[in-house]
Amino acid sequence: MKPAPFEYHAPETTADAATVLARLGDGAKVLAGGQSLVPMLALRLAVFEHLVDIGRVTELQGIEVRDGSLWIGAGTTQARVEASDDVASAVPLLTRVTPFIGHFQIRNRGTLGGSIAHADPAAEYPAVALALDATMHVTSSRGARSVAARDYFDGLWTTTMEADELLTGVTFPTWDGRCGFAVEEFARRHGDFAIAGATVGVELDDADRIGRCAIGLIGLGSTPERAGAAEAELVGRSITDVEPDDVGRLAMAGLASVPDDLHGSAGFRLRVGAAMVARAWATASTEARHG
Amino acid sequence: MGEVPVHLTVNGRRRAESVEPRLTLADFLRERCQLTGTHLGCEHGVCGACTVLVDGAAVRSCLMFAVQADGADVTTIEGVASPDGDLSTVQAAFRDCHGLQCGFCTPGFVMSVTAFLRDQPGPTDEQIRQALSGTLCRCTGYQGIFKAVRQAADAGQHGERS
Amino acid sequence: MTGTATGGAARFVGARVHRVEDARLLTGRGTFVDDVSLPGMLHACFVRSPFARAAIRGIETSAARALPGVQFVFTAADLNPGVKEQWHTSTGPNSPETPRPPLAEGEARFAGDPVALVIAESRYVAEDAAELVEVDYEALPAVVDYAEAEHAEALVHESHGSNVIGEIAGLPASALDGVFASAAHVVSETIHQQAYAPVPMEGRGLVVDYSGATGELTIYAATQVPHEVRLFCSRLLGHPEHRIRVVMRDTGGGFGQKVMLQRDEMCLMLAAPIVGAPVKWVEDRRENLLAAGKSRQEHADVKLAFDLDGAIQGAYIDFVQDCGAYPTPWPVMTSAAVGMLFPGPYRVPSAGFTCKAIYTNTVGRSAYRGPWQFESLAREVLLDISARRMGMDPIELRRRNLLRRDELPYTNPNGMSYDSISPLETFEQALAMLDYEAFRREQAKARAAGRHLGAGVSNYVEPSTPGYGYYGTEAATIRVEPSGAVNVYIAGGSTGNSIETTVVQMAADALGVKIDDVNTIQGDTAVTSFGAGAAGSRSASMTAGAVRETATLLRERLLAIAAHKLEADPEDIELADSRASVRGAPATGVSFAELAALAYFAPGSLPPGVPAGLEASARYTADAPAIWVNATHVCTCEVDVATGHVKLLRYIVSEDCGPMINPAVVEGQIAGGTVQGIGGALYEHLAYDEDGNPVATTFMDYLLPTATEVPEIEHGHIETPSPGPGGYKGVGEGGAIGAPPAVVNAVADALSPFGVTVTRLPLSPAQIVGLLDQ
Repeated sequence: MKPAPFEYHAPETTADAATVLARLGDGAKVLAGGQSLVPMLALRLAVFEHLVDIGRVTELQGIEVRDGSLWIGAGTTQARVEASDDVASAVPLLTRVTPFIGHFQIRNRGTLGGSIAHADPAAEYPAVALALDATMHVTSSRGARSVAARDYFDGLWTTTMEADELLTGVTFPTWDGRCGFAVEEFARRHGDFAIAGATVGVELDDADRIGRCAIGLIGLGSTPERAGAAEAELVGRSITDVEPDDVGRLAMAGLASVPDDLHGSAGFRLRVGAAMVARAWATASTEARHG
Repeated sequence: MGEVPVHLTVNGRRRAESVEPRLTLADFLRERCQLTGTHLGCEHGVCGACTVLVDGAAVRSCLMFAVQADGADVTTIEGVASPDGDLSTVQAAFRDCHGLQCGFCTPGFVMSVTAFLRDQPGPTDEQIRQALSGTLCRCTGYQGIFKAVRQAADAGQHGERS
Repeated sequence: MTGTATGGAARFVGARVHRVEDARLLTGRGTFVDDVSLPGMLHACFVRSPFARAAIRGIETSAARALPGVQFVFTAADLNPGVKEQWHTSTGPNSPETPRPPLAEGEARFAGDPVALVIAESRYVAEDAAELVEVDYEALPAVVDYAEAEHAEALVHESHGSNVIGEIAGLPASALDGVFASAAHVVSETIHQQAYAPVPMEGRGLVVDYSGATGELTIYAATQVPHEVRLFCSRLLGHPEHRIRVVMRDTGGGFGQKVMLQRDEMCLMLAAPIVGAPVKWVEDRRENLLAAGKSRQEHADVKLAFDLDGAIQGAYIDFVQDCGAYPTPWPVMTSAAVGMLFPGPYRVPSAGFTCKAIYTNTVGRSAYRGPWQFESLAREVLLDISARRMGMDPIELRRRNLLRRDELPYTNPNGMSYDSISPLETFEQALAMLDYEAFRREQAKARAAGRHLGAGVSNYVEPSTPGYGYYGTEAATIRVEPSGAVNVYIAGGSTGNSIETTVVQMAADALGVKIDDVNTIQGDTAVTSFGAGAAGSRSASMTAGAVRETATLLRERLLAIAAHKLEADPEDIELADSRASVRGAPATGVSFAELAALAYFAPGSLPPGVPAGLEASARYTADAPAIWVNATHVCTCEVDVATGHVKLLRYIVSEDCGPMINPAVVEGQIAGGTVQGIGGALYEHLAYDEDGNPVATTFMDYLLPTATEVPEIEHGHIETPSPGPGGYKGVGEGGAIGAPPAVVNAVADALSPFGVTVTRLPLSPAQIVGLLDQ
């Protein structure tokens, strides 16, 4: 299975990348780690006249602890995110979700930005970005802008970025205080795309009441989902009054585009999704309560 | 598009070639370098038979284009044993533990396991299985493969070689 | 030390000798078909139908042919007339067969059907050109559901007049009416197994190098049967067999998929003489999943009759298998094995069967380890269901009905006569390894805590080593070279079954040679004698016979020459460590090198009657139609009822393959087959949608087990020698026979508190949750 021919561009700066994308328009596709794009090219499910390889743009690679947040360059590999102590202390949910991304060989090449821009609803990083209200930094020859995660994912494999825009990095807010984080994913085999999964963060006040919580959902829509209504209901309640199974049920309410395919019906995914949320909630709350 | 120059090192030897951008690193190694030990089992990044080391990291060479490897240092299965033919600890362990039958997936496993044990020298059984889960085998049922990795890991802990 | 069949000491046979194949395979120096590169070689790529069924109104190839780098674009009109004769040696020229046009002619009959063949300077260019071939398809109603195909209006093969390929039967159901009517318990179910496939890590492929000037045709092939490739090609092209050479050095797995040549390979053979340059075709993974063949897709109504104590009184199976559009080979006779073997290793007084084969507009059925294994799946699953319904422990039910050694030889009610098996012994050993009672206690505790553990068992008996016709002989040539080193030439066909190593072990023992002094050359038809290849779990026994026959001749000569040299009686000479010496006086001896020097360079000094040289050839003929093998599989699992996930906890196989040539090889074969069976039970599904579009054409959707889905496999071994050479039995297929039912039974046992009956595979999480929701 060989890809169709394409022209290859390898800019070395963000500005150059933006210029090339502006010039090439719709016929160009950004190549980051290639772990999602190259299989599609090999299967000829997608054909692009131009590939713009951002692998040489060192400005897009990096992890920076900032005030109350963590910036990760779009070109940073998942392996680097997985191994980073800064990520582990600032955004534990990212560290805990990364081992679910495929296999270590994939993570050696796959990038955080690539995963987010590819916007697969069954992927891990988009759900975490949505759950934590991350900010996506986007640039083009027309200038740079920031997009809130809730405004970034637009549909199946679609973001609100323009054709000439490039994701340069993502800023994740850091949670302080009494927090707990957990990820539960159900897949057919280790490393497979999730059939349903949950990424959960819980923060408690000193009286064990839920100060805030974030429930990101994997594989349960045409985009990553967030159980916003469930979160709103949970805020302010005492953690000990909350049954994980109830959280699971609440989180599944209102999901309108649950996938239905060879690996499971929508009904099956909702059932599994509820179990994943429940289990992740139980783990995260235990961590929040006891540290 | 016309061809693009690539310069890289493969198994310690410098290569300078001109390639179509769409030529995968796997095909570059097999056809241009005539190193056919890297195998194509799926060409869509799932089976791992094509695994090589690029700047030391285990990657699926079917998911890279040769042009992306410009400037890189690549190691393939042919570069693992010593020039005299002495098998590495990992290779010897596969031999000792009947970790291969048809041998088609074997280069991918050897490369992945070599990188894995280098980076995680004292793995638990569970960690070994997870590390192996990215490469498919149809002949062995993974039994001999698991034992080989266990043996190589244990040998590494005690500084033994093949 | 025990002796070998030829009189030497068993030193290497029986040991976990390191494989001779490993040195090259571990260092990336194997030669698989895609590693072969010939000067001027071109590359092939097929254009395949996207429709399950369509009339082909026209094919426009001009744009494809105009693409730089494209040499040819062939259609049916170009290639198909080149067929002189088309049949497989094991089937014979007179068998009914499905018409097999190399390229689709007028009608595409499955999604993936090869319609045109592009030949270009690289596979990259060939794929570009394939996209430019314009085929005018008129989609037609397709026959997709094999259960309904008999009554469908559309016909897969018009010329056949029906979608029923054929039917074969034993005793009819009516003959058993009395047995079932009078039985204390009758249990009947319909059991379904899905389509899945061998999926070797290397797909099919060949390089065909035809030289018009010399009339030489060389084929490098990914194959289990090099000599059959030669024979088939010779007949196909009408090209003299002795001018065709087939070379196979390494093949990346076969499991039955590389035993019978199919239409794609025929196209390459037909194209080569026209192309006038070597042509390579290596299928990619999508093609392998689309077009290399499917297996297993089948179901049956099965019933068992029991007396009050649970003794089986009768067994009946009404079996239907989906053969796709182009099954290879003709499937009617081969389907009979399902019916014949359904009684399994149990005491069954009466049985009957009907086996029906059906055409559909899907990929054709091809062989896969234990092609008949549905009989074990159906029987073992039904036994567990029966036990639960009768309020008996499934283990106790089996214990009551398994054949004992003192009942052998036993002729099953369909006329199959089993000997040299040990069903009760493997059963008890496997259960002891599990500690069955302890498991039941653990299960009870887990249930009380809301966790669902289960145990499943399966027993099977299998005919290995077909000892008749095309499969019934095997030859070897052994040369003690002038230096005293040994070469063993044998047909081979190893696609991972370690035949190089086991032949070397046997020859080393048979001749008393150091193992490093033995080399084997296999897989090259120019150099080795005709052999049917690696199929039907035949290699251990047949190569043993060939080595034995040939080595016996050489031993005689070696002993005679040594005795003459050492002035002793041949009866007093011992061959060991590549030396011949007088028994009891090893220091006085002569090396094989010295014996060879005499034989080759000093023929005048040889004893009277002993010919010069040290080379012999012999052909072994099997004297039994089958060598019976049996095993028991035991599996324990935990089912997460919230998600339907199955985690396998322990997996135990107790098998009786007779004495083992190499225990590591035996265990490896069983483990590989077992994991394929686990894949079939839980993960793999070569699915089609209702329009006949294949849904699992990449590894994203066709799920093979990985190292994390598979537990440690524990091996037990019972050794009942067969009557064949060395007592060896075939072991290549059994894992894939015993595993699916053991896994299914374990899951069913875990879910038994919920009252679910499991009769349909695969047991995906969604399927399990669906059963629980019912």
